[in-house]
Amino acid sequence: MSLRIIIFFLIGLLIFILDIGFNAEQDSKDIYISDQELTSLLSAWESQVGRPPSGDEIVNIINNFVQEEILYREALLLGLDQEDQIIKRRLAQKITFLKQETIPEEPSEEELKEFFEVNKNAYYVPATYSFSHHYFSKESNAKGRAAKAMESFLNQGTELVGDPFFLGKNFYQNSAIEIKKNFGEAFFLALETLTINEWSGPHESAFGEHIILLKEVSDGFYPPLEKVLLRVEQDYLAQAQDKAVADYINEISSEYRVIINPDFKF
Amino acid sequence: MKISKSLIGLIVVSTIFLIYASGFYTNLQSNSALEIVDFSTEESLENKSIPSNPNRIPLYGDLHVHTKYSFDAYIFGVTATPYDAYKYAIGEGIKHPLGYEMKIKEPLDFYAVTDHGFYMGMIENYADTSSKMSKNEWTKPMHNLNRPENVTVESTGERANLFSSVLTQAIIKPYPWWHPKYLGAWLTNNIQLALQSFDYDVHKSAWADVANAAEEFNEPGKFTTFIGYEFTASTQVEGGNLHRNVIFNSSKAPIRPWTRIDSLNPEDLWTWMDALRDKGVDSLAMPHNSNGSNGQMFEVETFRGNAIDKEYAEKRMRNEPVVEMTQVKGTSDTHPLLSPDDEWADFEIMDKRVGSRPPTYSMPQGGYVRDAYLRGLTLEWKNQGNPYKFGLIGSSDTHTGAGAFDEDNYWSKTGVLDGTDMGRGSVPLTQDRIDQLSQYAIDYDQPISIKEIDGRTYANVGFDQWGASGLAVAWAEENTRESIFQAFKRKETFATTGTRMAVRFFAGYNMDSIDLTSEDMIKNAYAKGVTMGADLFGENNQTPQFLVWAQRDKLAAPLQRIQIIKGWVEDASGTPKEMIYDVACSDGLSVDPETNRCPDNGARVNINDCSISNDVGAGELKTIWTDPDFDPTIKAFYYVRVLENPTCRWSTWDAVKAGVSPRPDLHKTIQERAWSSPIWYIPESSNLDIIPL
Repeated sequence: MSLRIIIFFLIGLLIFILDIGFNAEQDSKDIYISDQELTSLLSAWESQVGRPPSGDEIVNIINNFVQEEILYREALLLGLDQEDQIIKRRLAQKITFLKQETIPEEPSEEELKEFFEVNKNAYYVPATYSFSHHYFSKESNAKGRAAKAMESFLNQGTELVGDPFFLGKNFYQNSAIEIKKNFGEAFFLALETLTINEWSGPHESAFGEHIILLKEVSDGFYPPLEKVLLRVEQDYLAQAQDKAVADYINEISSEYRVIINPDFKF
Repeated sequence: MKISKSLIGLIVVSTIFLIYASGFYTNLQSNSALEIVDFSTEESLENKSIPSNPNRIPLYGDLHVHTKYSFDAYIFGVTATPYDAYKYAIGEGIKHPLGYEMKIKEPLDFYAVTDHGFYMGMIENYADTSSKMSKNEWTKPMHNLNRPENVTVESTGERANLFSSVLTQAIIKPYPWWHPKYLGAWLTNNIQLALQSFDYDVHKSAWADVANAAEEFNEPGKFTTFIGYEFTASTQVEGGNLHRNVIFNSSKAPIRPWTRIDSLNPEDLWTWMDALRDKGVDSLAMPHNSNGSNGQMFEVETFRGNAIDKEYAEKRMRNEPVVEMTQVKGTSDTHPLLSPDDEWADFEIMDKRVGSRPPTYSMPQGGYVRDAYLRGLTLEWKNQGNPYKFGLIGSSDTHTGAGAFDEDNYWSKTGVLDGTDMGRGSVPLTQDRIDQLSQYAIDYDQPISIKEIDGRTYANVGFDQWGASGLAVAWAEENTRESIFQAFKRKETFATTGTRMAVRFFAGYNMDSIDLTSEDMIKNAYAKGVTMGADLFGENNQTPQFLVWAQRDKLAAPLQRIQIIKGWVEDASGTPKEMIYDVACSDGLSVDPETNRCPDNGARVNINDCSISNDVGAGELKTIWTDPDFDPTIKAFYYVRVLENPTCRWSTWDAVKAGVSPRPDLHKTIQERAWSSPIWYIPESSNLDIIPL
């Protein structure tokens, strides 16, 4: 038995003795209703019904309260609060709220800065691509026509002309996700490798062949903290709350030992 | 003397009463449903230029999504918040109540959380044992309902019972007539306040949370959200579904939703929307599940049974330009009884009244959009105006926050109830589940919800008529609220069954001069004609041409055919007529001019593993079509239906995944499809009003 538990045990014993000494009458079956409790009972009734209770009603309210208290105490005596999922969960919830509230309202600038540095990736603004393309439909010999169009463009300077494409010819500042959604994975992989301002192709997509002119790539970047301050603040607080609870559990859980039947068949 | 004394007495008493009442409700004026709140949040990122395309791009979205704030979703075990719902739409996985991950194949362009307006947020509040409401005896069956260890398949019976009997009895509890809250409700035109089961603060904060989530996720140019809710009304006696989703065009929205507690009559909803519009807040209402309305969604008379007139028609069309015609609870294009000559009419038919207990048949007449278009023409023919000149969209109506759009990645919509294959009736039940369902029938005095088919026992719960559908698609210049909202108002929209196919549709008199292989085809089409959702006016008895173009979903099956569906009212007899023309076929096949049908392209599905023929079908189809039976003097509507090659239905996928044979009485395959909004042909006016005798 660790020293700590012995100390706890001794303190517990002391409290128990003091409790018996000072609160001997608690063991008797008195139900003491304080003035505050009475006031709050009556005003709760009034706010629900909209008028002060009459004499009979006051008697009823108090009787109900007393009955609840008696049942509650008897239930405690019988140990009905033990192993009750709802009570367990409610108490766990209460202490969680308590721990969440222990964090300071306003994080300091330093704390925010540090948090931002650590979680930078969450605020990353991804790269975008601007490009034009000519499309050759799968329905009519895409590969052959696209290759021929490209060839005569390169050799004779013939104007590039393709088929109509559902989303048009020009795309401005599209992210990787958008491009993959509109053209498919392979198209994006090809686009990524292209040289700026140079017609290239044919490249295959889910719909046919494309001759592409990549016009501009804006690299992805981490925005400065000022631009995303509001979001960072919210995320910081959310994380701090989770951390407060997690820290508390970590701190206290070393006191506990978990025992599970090693032979249990899952 | 006596009279004046008692008069003074009366005045004094009533004045005291009024002061008392207004003192009780400190904020008398603010309780009006017309008070507007600006939910906009500070934009922290600088405004970037938004890419815009004058020829418009198709943007895919879902405008019908429920979260834990909906009274039924919470009962179904759903704890997903509006924030979770938006996360799902932009591509993050979220948890189904039963623990597995729900993830969309590709992110959507727009999304709107539309929780049920009435009792929004209240059931969660009843379940929370620390709330004021939970002190009421009748909330007990709901206490801690969604504690993690209770969100299980085994809780299905308890939840079904709460939904079908306990809830309705529990929540309609008005205060007695003399109660000050009753008076307050009357004074502020907010009947909800007269209900003991209603906490206005909780309700308002749930609504604010819905709005705040929309604001937080709205990112112009990338992803659009709408503040919205569902107006969940139904007809009193027959229980005909009159549900509508309402979305607002900006960050400004009313302080509370206008709900079925305010009125069951959709015309009152439009009055409220008109009043908001006068105050600068524009909105749309989108009817859905007309299939479960017992024919009352597209009635030929008003809610109160009066004749429809032009004023009604205008008011309806001003507020309801689009209809959600396909979703989880079935598709409302047409019904085999209404369109006996349409070989594709028997598609995802859900023939029960929505939420009916016991399940009750829903009359098809007046419940399907094609029939509604014909009714609209008939009403107009009788000079009553056309209240049914709407465009088409789809949406999911999911209650888990996450729309299930794919047959092979399906979780239906009611959380714990239909989140498993056995629960939705696609796979035979184990003995355990049979016992549970039988016990449930005994415990809660419910009809037996199992059925024997070919010696195997299935859950008989109606979910087998539901399906993996659908999406709303808007042709918009850019991905912003304003641009998408305008597309809905123009009706430049189409509906799909969850597939991301795309369809263009134009009509005009010079369309055949457009080169279908030109990169400028769409620019020319806009210049020379009108597009879906618009009117084409007659010109010197010319015959118009229609330009149709469809593109496949790159992750789904290839296209099989494009059809144009025409409807009109015969001039001499007043008989509504419809006709379906195949106009473009895949694989180089051509339409048989006798039957107006494409020949079979040979696409097949292997039911054992759901694989499909890879070598048939089209990536895109396009054509210019002329109506062979065109009569320039007759009003008509034309809309496009695009069909994919057949694929496995979700119920077949469930069976394949479980290693059992598919249920014999269900369709094993479906053809995913898209429908465009119609183009209406309006003849030159003859200056002759037809006066029906």
